[in-house]
Amino acid sequence: MREGALSKKVSRFCMYAFLIVASFISVFPLYWAFISSCNNTQQILGGRMIPSTHLMENLTNLFAQQDVWRAMKNSFATTLLQVVLSLAVSSIAGYGFEIYHDKYKDRVMGILMLAMMVPFVAVLVPLFQMFSKAGLLNSWVGFFLPSLATPFLIMYFRNSARTFPKDTIEAARIDGLNEFQIFIKMFIPMMKPTYASAATITFMNAWNAYLWPKVIMQTPDATTMPMLVSNLMGGYVIDYGVVMAGVTLCSLPTVIIFFILQKSFTNGVAGAVK
Amino acid sequence: MTNATPAPKKKHRFWSMERKQSAAGWAFLTPATLMIFVFSFYPMVQAFLTSLKRGLPTALTYCDPLWRNYQRMLSDKVFVQSVSNTLTYLIIQVPIMLVLAVIFATLLNNKDLKFRGLFRTCIFLPCATGLVAYSMIFRTLFTYDGMVNAVLTNIGILSEPINWLNDPFYAKFVIIVGLVWRWTGYNMIFYLSGMQSIDYSIYEAARIDGANQFRQLINITIPLLKPIILVTAIMSTNGTLQLFDESVNLTRGGPANMTITMSHYIYNTMFTKNPNFGYAAAMSFVILIMVAVLSAIQTKVGDKR
Amino acid sequence: MKKLVSLLLALTIIVSCGAALAAEDGKITIWTWDPNFNIAAMKVAKEMYNAEHPDVEIVIEEVLSDDIETRVITAASAGDISNLPDIMLIQDNSAQKFVLSYPEVYADITGKYDFEGFAEGKLAYSIVDGKNYGVPFDAGTVVGAYRTDYLEAAGYTIADVTDITWERFIEIGKDVKAKTGKPLLTAQAGSVDTICMMLQSCGASMFNEDGSVNFANNEVCKAALEIYKTMALEGVLVEVNTWDEYCGTFSNGTAGSAINGCWILGTVMGVQDQAGKWALTNMPKLSGFESATNYSNNGGSSWVFTNGTDIDLALDFMKLYRNVDFYNTILPTTSAIGTWAGAKEGSNYTAGNEYFNGDAIFAKIVEYTAHVPANQTGAFYYDARDALGTALTNYINGGDLDTELANAEDTVNFAMGF
Repeated sequence: MREGALSKKVSRFCMYAFLIVASFISVFPLYWAFISSCNNTQQILGGRMIPSTHLMENLTNLFAQQDVWRAMKNSFATTLLQVVLSLAVSSIAGYGFEIYHDKYKDRVMGILMLAMMVPFVAVLVPLFQMFSKAGLLNSWVGFFLPSLATPFLIMYFRNSARTFPKDTIEAARIDGLNEFQIFIKMFIPMMKPTYASAATITFMNAWNAYLWPKVIMQTPDATTMPMLVSNLMGGYVIDYGVVMAGVTLCSLPTVIIFFILQKSFTNGVAGAVK
Repeated sequence: MTNATPAPKKKHRFWSMERKQSAAGWAFLTPATLMIFVFSFYPMVQAFLTSLKRGLPTALTYCDPLWRNYQRMLSDKVFVQSVSNTLTYLIIQVPIMLVLAVIFATLLNNKDLKFRGLFRTCIFLPCATGLVAYSMIFRTLFTYDGMVNAVLTNIGILSEPINWLNDPFYAKFVIIVGLVWRWTGYNMIFYLSGMQSIDYSIYEAARIDGANQFRQLINITIPLLKPIILVTAIMSTNGTLQLFDESVNLTRGGPANMTITMSHYIYNTMFTKNPNFGYAAAMSFVILIMVAVLSAIQTKVGDKR
Repeated sequence: MKKLVSLLLALTIIVSCGAALAAEDGKITIWTWDPNFNIAAMKVAKEMYNAEHPDVEIVIEEVLSDDIETRVITAASAGDISNLPDIMLIQDNSAQKFVLSYPEVYADITGKYDFEGFAEGKLAYSIVDGKNYGVPFDAGTVVGAYRTDYLEAAGYTIADVTDITWERFIEIGKDVKAKTGKPLLTAQAGSVDTICMMLQSCGASMFNEDGSVNFANNEVCKAALEIYKTMALEGVLVEVNTWDEYCGTFSNGTAGSAINGCWILGTVMGVQDQAGKWALTNMPKLSGFESATNYSNNGGSSWVFTNGTDIDLALDFMKLYRNVDFYNTILPTTSAIGTWAGAKEGSNYTAGNEYFNGDAIFAKIVEYTAHVPANQTGAFYYDARDALGTALTNYINGGDLDTELANAEDTVNFAMGF
């Protein structure tokens, strides 16, 4: 028994050590980006690991060069819209595929999966042709329409719907709820952790989207944060302090969103146990 | 009995419970399905037609023979190199990343763990890092007189510094490290959210039966998470075969094309070199076929209802 | 929640309707990419032009060089160039490729603009089939900027590195290395910038005049690669991995010289405490070739014009690029050095530069620009650069020179055979 307690202690120690090391490795690069926004080019290229006093200078230069507020506003607007619409469209589809599955729907799902397999660079030009013909260049609709329904999200919700108990559905039907109401009133509340993780992921992807936006949004009014940051790297002389200040501002929202949505994972436990 | 009114009965049968539910299902999945057809399959068909063509982007004509672009690939050294690079990343990185993600998720799902939220946030944080930051940081860390070399030589693991980014082997290694770093937390999130819907009492019961953490992982967690593990496996395979950003930003495909990926080469063929859309489209169809085959295998192995 | 969704949807529709661009008369839209450089220059041009033509609206939009290229390619391929601006900046090395691949996008300005006084080597980048497509902007004229303190330590002065050959450069480099431990030259690994500068300094190219690739039997190319490898093996040249690191070699005092396009001076002069430690001269030349000079070019860009724009208006505006005051005004803030010979008369050009010990470096550079030989770029320039980069890397790592160059030629021929 005593031996058991000792080995338990050792394994606990190993577990914490492992997690601490992993956390350190995970956090370090972002920490470096953050502190680098307080350093100047020379210090950054020299690999300085502690913050210096150039934060205000970098921020001032950044805001003087670039319309940061506009980019922030654009990024938030497009990203939030995309998250809401994308989750709505994809989750109901995933639910539809799983709960009502028959061999035809499974086959359709199989076909949809094929859509994940094409590298985006391959469809970039045909997609652009389509949108320019439809007059959707420089529009927010054009910005996120192609990425609203993703086979990945559908598949994720479909697989999560497998854990949605059939008894719940039957009970709800007996209670007189129609199919859509079951989805809205039963499925969504119960699947909060799933929605939270899907929202987090979609937020990250939408926020960091770069290749498509830069092609479809040809006016500077539509500049997003990633485009702004990459603009900072375009010159002959690069001010890395300003770049890192831009990177930090660009990363903060995704970090904050994760902190917020993290609560939903934890809260979701209660929902699942009920 | 036989005189019973046939019409309403038929109608009733048409809208039987099952039919009604099936119709609801179709209604639910239609918007997303339509979008995918319009924004993925239609351009795909266009891209396939392009893959049979050659010439300037604004004056494409059909090849003779039609499969000329596909034939070309076999004698294209850079393309062959890019396929071999991509497969190397796939075989090494995906298993490491998924196993790590399952381990992290299991550890973090333990209710007795202190600082769970903190650890979870830390491990997820790389996903929140923008590409510019990520590539700049890794490049700076792995430069010749960078921190990694300094630390490793100081503690005596290396006798002399390694030229990480300019050596064919180590440059691939850095890309794999970068990928694992960037995406492990991402996969972990899916496993964690999947574990939330597993009843915690199952674990408690197992613990009373004397099952250790490892046994719990093998016997409870993995079987229950199988659908989600399958999703992430297919996703990662997919993502790795279409790998683009890391190759572009971390190593620029170098040294001497030793780290270039297929998507990166396709992008170069379209946008940085003399634009050759036909050939680029043909190469992307090869990726499509590779992904399709691998996903089919994974689905066969993992998806048994 | 429902309300929120419908609100968001309504918002989307409003925004997307309002975002369409409308072309007006008397308006010039410009795409360019560097706020401290070409954007700043265009802002000055805008101010100067608007002082005389207040009715013309000039819009300068920041678009990254790569993004301009991507947008031109997608727009031209979709057959809809209406969203492209009137004037775009293009990298000189890309100009031929774009004009040849998308002839319908670019306006022919032959005979509509006075090109007198622009360096021939610079103009050649945007001339396709004898037609002019571009107005030159900045020079990429190669300069040799040396750390005088390192040279002195080895017993040399700036005069000893002026008008020299690469062989002499290597000798001096060995001495500097022995005395200071510093390499005289640094370069980004896998980049063929240095090789291409050497090629152009002899008026040689990666291509023949008929556009076919020229590696396997290119004696200048072989000589350049051999010199490069010798320097690398002797430690006279140190390769670093990334562009960031390359820039770092100047700020942290690793490099004894910067031999590159004159735009590198912006980076060199970025370090306050090195003021007065630098001197500027021309680059070394390859020996054994009659056409060899001490002058070359690396980088630089030109303004090109979209078909269907009001060319007369755009070119009237571009007259500023033949204006000595314009070049004189932009020099102190942007360090953009004009390729137009008249620019060197400006007071800022003739003034001494403190960083370079009071030397009038900018007038010097305009002077160099006139000596730069022209070279062939063509549509496959970047394919050739890539192939040459692979050959260079493999050659340094022990590959056979002739085999590597033959392979490079095969690779480019393969790309050409589409």
